[in-house]
Formats: sequence, C-alpha cells, structure tokens
Amino acid sequence: MRLTFTVNGRRRGIEVPATTRLIDVLRVHLGMTDTKEGCSEGECGACTVILDGKAVNSCLVLAPQVNGRDVLTVEGLAGDAELTVLQAKFIEHGAIQCGYCTPGMLMSAKALLLHDPDPSETEIRMALAGNICRCTGYTAIVEAVQDAARAGVEQNGPR
Amino acid sequence: MAHAELLTPTGLGDLPAALAGMTQRSRLLAGGTDLVNAMRRDECRPDLIVDLSGVRELAGVRREDGVLRVGAMTTFSQLQVDPVVRQYAACLAEAAAQVGSTQIRNIATIGGNVANASPCGDSIPALMALDACVTVLDGDGRTSSRPIRDVVVGPGATSLSTGEVIIDFTFAPLRPHERSVFVKIGSRSAVTVARLSAAVVVECNPAAGTLSAARVALGAVGDTAFRDAAVEASLEGRPANEATAQRFAEACANAVCASIPGRHSLPYKQHAAVGLAYDAWNGLAVSPTCEPVWD
Amino acid sequence: MQELRAVGQTYPIHDATEKVTGDLVFGSDLRLPGMMCAKLLLSPFAHALVKSVDAAAAEALHGVVGVFSHLNAPQTPYCRSRLVPGEPLCVEDETLFAATARFVGDRVAAVVAADRETAAEALRLIEVDYEPLPPVLTAKAALAAGATPIHDGGNLVYEYDRELGVALPSRPDTLSTVTTVATQKLHHAALEPHVCLADYDRSGTLTIWTPSQGVYGVRTVVADLLGLSYSRVRVIKVPVGGSFGGKQEFILEPVTAFLALRTGRPVRLTLDREQCIVATTTRPATTSTMRTVVDSDGMLLDVEVDTVLDAGAYSGSSPEYALMMAHKLTRLYRAPHYRHRGRAVYTTTPVAGGFRGWGAPETVTSVEIHLDHVARRLRMDPVELRLRNLVSPGDIDPATGMSLGDARIRQCLESGAQAFGWSRRFSRVVETGRLRRGVGVACGGHYNGLLGEASSESSTMTLKMNEDGSVDLNASLHEVGCGSGTAMRIIIAEELGVDWERITTREADSEATPYDIGCYASRMIYVCGAGARATAAELKERLVQAASRLLDLPAASLRVGPGRVEVADEPGHGLTYAEIVRGIRVRDGHDMIVTHTYCNRSNPGSYSAQFAEVEVDVLTGLVRVTDFLAIADVGRAINRGMVEGQYRGAVQMGIGYALCEEVALDDQGRPRPGGFKNYHLVNAPDMPDVAVLLVEHEGDEGPYGAKSVGEIATVPTAAAVINALNDALGTSITTLPATPERVLAAIAELDSAGQRQTRSARRGPTCD
Repeated sequence: MRLTFTVNGRRRGIEVPATTRLIDVLRVHLGMTDTKEGCSEGECGACTVILDGKAVNSCLVLAPQVNGRDVLTVEGLAGDAELTVLQAKFIEHGAIQCGYCTPGMLMSAKALLLHDPDPSETEIRMALAGNICRCTGYTAIVEAVQDAARAGVEQNGPR
Repeated sequence: MAHAELLTPTGLGDLPAALAGMTQRSRLLAGGTDLVNAMRRDECRPDLIVDLSGVRELAGVRREDGVLRVGAMTTFSQLQVDPVVRQYAACLAEAAAQVGSTQIRNIATIGGNVANASPCGDSIPALMALDACVTVLDGDGRTSSRPIRDVVVGPGATSLSTGEVIIDFTFAPLRPHERSVFVKIGSRSAVTVARLSAAVVVECNPAAGTLSAARVALGAVGDTAFRDAAVEASLEGRPANEATAQRFAEACANAVCASIPGRHSLPYKQHAAVGLAYDAWNGLAVSPTCEPVWD
Repeated sequence: MQELRAVGQTYPIHDATEKVTGDLVFGSDLRLPGMMCAKLLLSPFAHALVKSVDAAAAEALHGVVGVFSHLNAPQTPYCRSRLVPGEPLCVEDETLFAATARFVGDRVAAVVAADRETAAEALRLIEVDYEPLPPVLTAKAALAAGATPIHDGGNLVYEYDRELGVALPSRPDTLSTVTTVATQKLHHAALEPHVCLADYDRSGTLTIWTPSQGVYGVRTVVADLLGLSYSRVRVIKVPVGGSFGGKQEFILEPVTAFLALRTGRPVRLTLDREQCIVATTTRPATTSTMRTVVDSDGMLLDVEVDTVLDAGAYSGSSPEYALMMAHKLTRLYRAPHYRHRGRAVYTTTPVAGGFRGWGAPETVTSVEIHLDHVARRLRMDPVELRLRNLVSPGDIDPATGMSLGDARIRQCLESGAQAFGWSRRFSRVVETGRLRRGVGVACGGHYNGLLGEASSESSTMTLKMNEDGSVDLNASLHEVGCGSGTAMRIIIAEELGVDWERITTREADSEATPYDIGCYASRMIYVCGAGARATAAELKERLVQAASRLLDLPAASLRVGPGRVEVADEPGHGLTYAEIVRGIRVRDGHDMIVTHTYCNRSNPGSYSAQFAEVEVDVLTGLVRVTDFLAIADVGRAINRGMVEGQYRGAVQMGIGYALCEEVALDDQGRPRPGGFKNYHLVNAPDMPDVAVLLVEHEGDEGPYGAKSVGEIATVPTAAAVINALNDALGTSITTLPATPERVLAAIAELDSAGQRQTRSARRGPTCD
C-alpha cells in the first residue's frame, strides 16, 4: 500500500506491505531507530509513539491505521532544537539508567501533558502504567514528569 | 508478517462491497491490538484485511430515539470520558477505563473487543448488564440487531458469519434511579487481564427503600461472560444493607463455582468472587435508604 | 566523611542525552552493509530426539542464505559461562544446536535470510521430526531413583558439602527450627531483548557486537569453540538496555558467530520477548531446607542448610552459582558451626544462569524467612534476633578466609528500625478486616569483586590526557545501564581535580581496550573504580614530574591544584594541565599517558537492611507493598542519585520476586504463551515509594571508600516483603511467589487449623 503520513512534522510517502507494523515503518522503512521494541505485544510500552495526539504502542498498529495521520516520535520532540523541558527534566531527575524504556516513557509523558498539563502523581502513574521500567523503580521518572508539568511549557511545544 | 490484500472502505456506503469480498481467512482491522498479535504469533494469516479506520460513521456515541448507540469503532479512551456514557451507562465507562493501558485504550475499539470474544474481555459483561443489542452489517448491505448474548457464543467465538461486521451497540440509557458499576480483579491493580469481572446495574427505589431490576453479568469465568439469574435474584426487593451485600457475595461465589467446575482456578476464583462482589457493592454506592451515597 | 568535590554529588548517567533523544545505538539499531537477519527455531518439546531436520523448502525460499541444525554444524560442546581458559566448575555440555532437545526453547535450527519476514517464513518451512522423550520437570523428579538421564552421567551436575566450624554438643535449653523455602525461576526482564551481530570478514577476523557483560569471556568461548586465534576474534560491547545478569553468559554469541563464519555474511540474531524468557537464562529455582539451633537468647549455635538448585537443561553457571549460595550466609551471620550441602540438578527446563545477586537473594530469602520463624517461636522481635547474630566490622568470613571489612549491617538495621518506626509498627493492633497490614524486615550481604572465588583479581586501564587538558580512559568497561562509566569519570575527576565532563570513557572492545574480566561479582566500583583512581593517581604523578621538568623546579616543591600543578607556596606560579601536556610534547616528545594494572587485595561485604509494609486483601489474596525503606551500607556514594535509583529499581525486582514474577511451566514443560502478557512485572501504579538511606562509613579500600551497590540492593527485598506478608496474616508462607492463590491457601490453612493468633500472642516484647 501507499502510506502517506506525517512523522515528526515531515510529510512522508512510502510503499509498504499492508501488514507492516508502525514500529517497522519507522525503524526499518524510515531508518528511525529512536523508537524501541521491547516485547512486540503492547505490554512494555517501549515502542510508544504519539498518533494524532494519543499515545499508542507502535508494535500493535498497522500501516493502514496511520494513513493520513500524524505521528510523533522521540526524535521529533526537540527536532533540531535543544532538548525539551521534559527531556531535560528526565536528565535532571535521574530518570534514565539503561535508557531502553526512555523513548517510550517520554512519549507517554508527552501525551499525558498534551491533554492534562497539571496531572496528579496518581494520574502520572496511571498514564505510565503501560510503560515498564526495570532499572529505576519509576520514582525518578514520575518526579521528572511532575517537574516538567510544573514548568508548564509542554503544551506550548519545545523551548 | 505475511502479505495480505488491503481494502479501506471510505464510508458506510463502501463497506458492504468490501465485506462481500471476505473469505474465512479474511480479517477486519479495527483497533488492531488483537489482530496484530495474532498475526505476529502466526495464529492467523489473513488473505484480505478490511480496514475500518475510514468508516467514520462507526465511531462515536449518539443518543437517538431514547436509545444510546455506541459505534463499534469507538475507542476505550473515548468511552472512558464520553459524558453521555458516563452518565447513562456508567458501567461501560468504567469497563472502558480498565481495559489495558492508556496506549491500548487509545486505539482498541469496543467492536474489536466484542468480536474477539475473549472470555476475559472487559466490555462484554458491561454490555450484557445493559441488555445491549449488536447491530450487524453484512455484505449485502443488510443490518440486523441481535442481543449481545447471541453474538458472543464461546471462548473466542461469535455468531458472526464471514463478511459480517459489528457496526454499533444499542441499549436503553440508565433511568434516573438506576446505578451501575464495573469491577474486575486481575493480577495487579492496573494493566491486567481480568481473572474475575462483574458488571452490575440495579434500580434503587427510595420510596420502597429496596433494590430491584438487577442485571448482573459475570466475566472471566466460564466460556463467555454471562448474566446470572440467581445473583440478580439475591438483590431483588432487598434493602441496600450489609445483609444484602453478603447474600449478593454468596450468590456471586456460587455462580462462579457453578460456571467453572473442575477448573484449576476454581478455589481461588470462588473465594475472590466474594471480594469482587463487595467491590461491586461498594462501587454502586447506595445507602440503606437507596439514595446514592455520592453522585 | 572526607570533603570531596566531585564524588558524592548527583550526576545524570553520562549518556543521558543520547538516551533522551533516542540517538543511542543499541544492538538492534545497528546496521551493517549486506547484513543478514537470523532467527532461531526452538524446540516445542521439553525433551526429544531431533531425528531429522528437513530444510529443503526453507533453503529454497528466495532470500534465504542458509539453514543450520546439528546436522550441518559442529557438535563440539562448550560452556556458556566460561570467562577464562581453564576455569574450574565449567561443565561443557551445550552445543550450538541440539541433537537432543532438552527443554522447550532449546535451539534446534537457525535461518539466515535477507530480512526478518523471510527468516520467519523460512522457519515455518523447516520440518523437524522429533521423537519425544520423558520430560523431567523438577529437581526432585530428576534426583529420584530411575529418573530419565538428561545428560550422560546422570542428572546431578554438581554437588558440595561444606562445613565451617565445629558442631557444638547439644544442650537442653536450645530451640531447633526447620523451614523449607522454595524460590522460583525468574526472567531478568531487561527491556532490551537479546541481540548479537557478527561478521567474519575476508581478512579472517571475526567481529562480534554484543551487549555483553564480558567481551573477553565471549572471545574465550567463541574462539575456542570455532578454533580461531584469540587475536582474530574481536568482541565489541554495544550499549546494554539492561542486563541484571541475563547478558553475562554467552548465549547468542557462539551461534551468531558460527552463522557469520559459515555464511560469510554479517548476521544479526535477535530474540523476541517470549524467546528471551525461555531461551536465554533464568534465575534458578531453588529449594533450601534450613535447620538452626539457637539458645534461649536467640544466638545461633548451629546452622545446617540443604539446597537443591534447578540448573535447567545445561549446566551453564549453575555449579558456581550453587556454590555461591553457600558463601552468602556467612557474609551476614556468625555461627559456630555452619554446614551447607548443595546440589545443582539438571531438569528439562529453561537454563538457569547468572542473575542479580548470584545466590544471595536465594539464600537470604531462605535464611531471613527462617529467622522470622525462629523469632516468632522465641517470641522475640525479629530485629533483635538479627542484631544478636549479625556480623560486625572486621569479622572474618569463614567461607573465604577474608575479612568482611567495614561491615556496617548492624548500623543499617538499627538506623533502619529507627527510621521506619519499626517498634511502633510491629506492635500495632491486629487488623481483622478485609485489608490487613503487616511489616517485615530482612538483611542482606554481598560481595565486592571476585577475590575469594578467584585467587587473584585485577584490572588494567590506560589513561591519557590530551593537549587541551581533557582526559580519555581506555578500559574494558562494561556499562550495563547502572552508570559505571559515569562513576569512573567522577572518580577520575576527583583524583585529578578536573571537570567530569572533560573525561571520556569508552565501552569494552577486546581489540582495543586492555583486559578486564567484566561486569561480574559486583566488582565495577570496588575494583574497576579503585583501578581508575589508581591510574589517575599515576597520571597525576606523571603530570607533577613533567611540570617539574618544565618549570625546572624540584617535584617536591610542587603541589596539585584544580586542573594545574603549582609551586606550593606560590600558587600563581605554575602550569595548567594543558600547558604541561603541550609542553612535554613539544619539548620532550613524550605523551601524557599511563597504563596501570590495579590488583585488588580485599573483598569486603556490602550490606543492606530493608523494611517493608504490605497490605493484604484477604478476599482476593492481592498484596500491595505500601511502604518500603532500604538502608544501604555503601561505604561512600560515588553518584548519590544513581545509588538511590539503583536501589529503587532493585526493590521493584525484589517485590516481583516475592509476589508475582515466575517463569511458570505446564506439565509438559511449556511456558505460558505470551511474553509480558503473562509474566507480570510491578508497574508504576503498584510501585511504592521507596525511601533510601545511605550509611557512608568509608572504611574499605574501594575508591574514596565506595562499595558495591547494584546487586546487594535487591538481595533482601523479597524476604522483607514475605516477612511483612506473614506478619500481616500470621501465616508461614515459604514458597515464592506469594501469588493470590498461595496467600488465600495459607489463610485457609490457618483458619482450618484454628491457629490464627493475635499479634501480641505471636510476638513477644518489641525491640526499642
């Protein structure tokens, strides 16, 4: 099928088999390896991207579902600019150890802050419930998101 | 994954033609969360995929002619926050809120959940408790309406034929004195398949101070979710007090026990069913005078 | 505590920026020109002869480069955990592909193809004729008379019987207690699935890219197996998306190397999550029966343990692992007589292997649950009972003959009990409703390196300073996501007085970085970190000598300031590091570079006392950890925030161990279908707040007094949770995980025996 969609603000048109998963569209067909595959069944959240403003597991979405739509990945958060506040807070709070869950965590957090700029701790944890981290015990990640929310600029895009 | 043909109907008008081309191997693509997993695990190799994302008429919640109509392509995220569903079918909103993770809810659809017919599917008990009917469209463009219990007929099995698709669910909105709840017990508090679930709708009569017209569906036990008359009877005409809660809990435990005889998980589920029942009871939040404890 | 400039602050991990932008290239992100994709065909049977493998249809598929099985691959046996040639306790019983499949998940065949879809299609076309054999699914069944032998020589892989001290004559006023604790197979659940790339080029060099904890070990096993010279096998460590021991043995490297060699193409082999769970390694399932004799004051007089460890289908590291279980108890407790018998046993189940803590969590879970049982029988506070028996600083570990060093476990326990409000919580009124709370404590001890196990231990590093004063460390570092690379930079920054961001480190590359055995036995900080400090100290001395020549002043008149060398009583008179390096380059033609081999001479204990509060729903059996405190005897935190972060992650793992994680197999030895769908990890909503308090006594020889963190952090966690659970319910749960079913069954057993006691009846006076 001819897949035409916007990824990180850039319009792309490529020919892919209809059964191609979005994660493979990104990683294999577009060479964008910033989105990671952890479990292939939508349980770990490492592959989370934002589709039309909503967090989804790219390992469970097929190419036809993305046609004409808008995808945001980690690489699109800051683009060529410096890091976004959210990314900076992740670094500042020690929310990164091995880094494999980080792209997915950032996208889930970004998706949350897009719709709810002032989430409670419980809401943050629930929003991240589908993102597994085996290194940090989640606390630093939650604190980073809280701090980013306080900084209040996520809704307005990157710095 | 193996190659498949793709059809993307652009609206309800195009849909029957696409359905008519389906074979037994063909699959409908709704949210994709079940289909993609099944394809990756080689559990199905569709020859044709009919992608429903272009059929806009299938998404959304409408209230028309005194009936609630929930489009099959409505996602669980949408159901979770929809004000009409929250007010007039709270158990469905609650079930939606407990499906998987945020990522899953953002793309998984109620139509897909019912068509997948997992015994643990969260939307099915809620739809049963609401006495929902399922509108089905076939390749000739004909629609029919069937009760949900006639659609979900076995574990992973529906009565849908090749080339039929669910287009929406209809049910009467809850009446002013009706309260509803959906609860589930899994292996952790969030992002878990149900090991036990229950949807309850019940009418509270402040004048009489009693409960009536109970509709209770149990899920994740037995081959499909089911309504249980004995459990419903345990509430009929009873005051909303601790004694009734206890009867209700016992009836739930008995119903669970009868539904999975000899199953390895029976001792656990029978016991946990009491917890499930109390969770449901607390969620209904009715005082002994049958007034809502909170709104 | 000494005043330090760099050590002890909080730093982000050194590659944080690459990680938040998704720029860091993991193994599965790497692409080589002409790279082929490999996929494995795994046995669906727990035990079966692989009678024939018909690959004709698969090979004929367009895009398939080769299909391999035992029929066309070497059958040379090897041991996946061998780090060095001649290593003892390595049983060579595994082959590249099984001629007899010995577990569901055993490698039967591999396909090399142009892409993943073609490889997957080819796998489907391979026809294997299996002749099923009887599965042997538990260690008990494997040891029974007449059990089907899984390997020639029977099912006992390794056995030991160690006795330390002398049995005391029995006395009348003592209490003998027996418990049997069973622990389960766990999946490491690193977010990054296993991956390996290999390329055998025309010069005859085999290059392997792997997220491994030991590149030199990979080289040893692969070169020996394939008959290659060590200098023709280059192993490059790529970033690791978590390991926890799962990437410390050599599981994919041998087969990937073989595929590259045989096809002459670069090959990448990846496993999906289900394959990672079953076909890599698991924490071993263990059963330990412990008998202790204590006097009326709770002093341990005699400890006797019998451990059976389920090694799974191949021996791997199980002999050593089983032995290490006997080394962990004496890290913690003193006893006049301690006898530990252990057996590692084959079963037709997933292979057991290295897993964070390496026998300490298994042993500690057993002893800490046991001690709580003893405390209840003595009606003594569990904290008090432990304080009577814990080791003290300077004690000798009878298992190794080495000093435990500045062992601060008592301090951890006492300060932890205080901070947690132990007495108040432990003596709280019993709850009788649906939700019941309880508290538990557990202590753990672990190692700082291989010394004691190994007779010597060292690390070689090269440090050079560039003309602008920046510094490059060339060492075989094995960063696994816990910030060891960051720690090295901090240590060097402290020693040299430079900014940590002006220091680079690199990952291990057997062709380019000097020898270090790898990330094992919690040696990164204590050994490698000390090595980094010593190497930096040598470079600093070299800078002083060079400054002396350049300034034409005696070295004794000079001192080191931040980033410069200056005259001791004339601080303005001196040279920056950059000036020194430029100076000697130009003048003397010398380079500012040192290579240092640090020989480690000690192996103290690292310790942690952990306190848990749980809430149990007695109707559903679900358990929530509602509060958690970890006290960490770290010596000195190098990167404070990372220590806390490691502890929190370790507690997440320990809670899963206690309550919900298990690689469960059915009666045919098959795992549950699905990856994380059925292997549940603690997620964000269920993770409690974990308070971490550090005890920093700086009493040992690690860099600036630092000791290991990563493994000890998870050692006592599961036991603390189980002890809290038993406290809440009055039960004696001794089988992990304490699933809802087991919780309800334990409650039912209590009820039916009429044994439910009030909390005050269960316990005696509390500890203050």
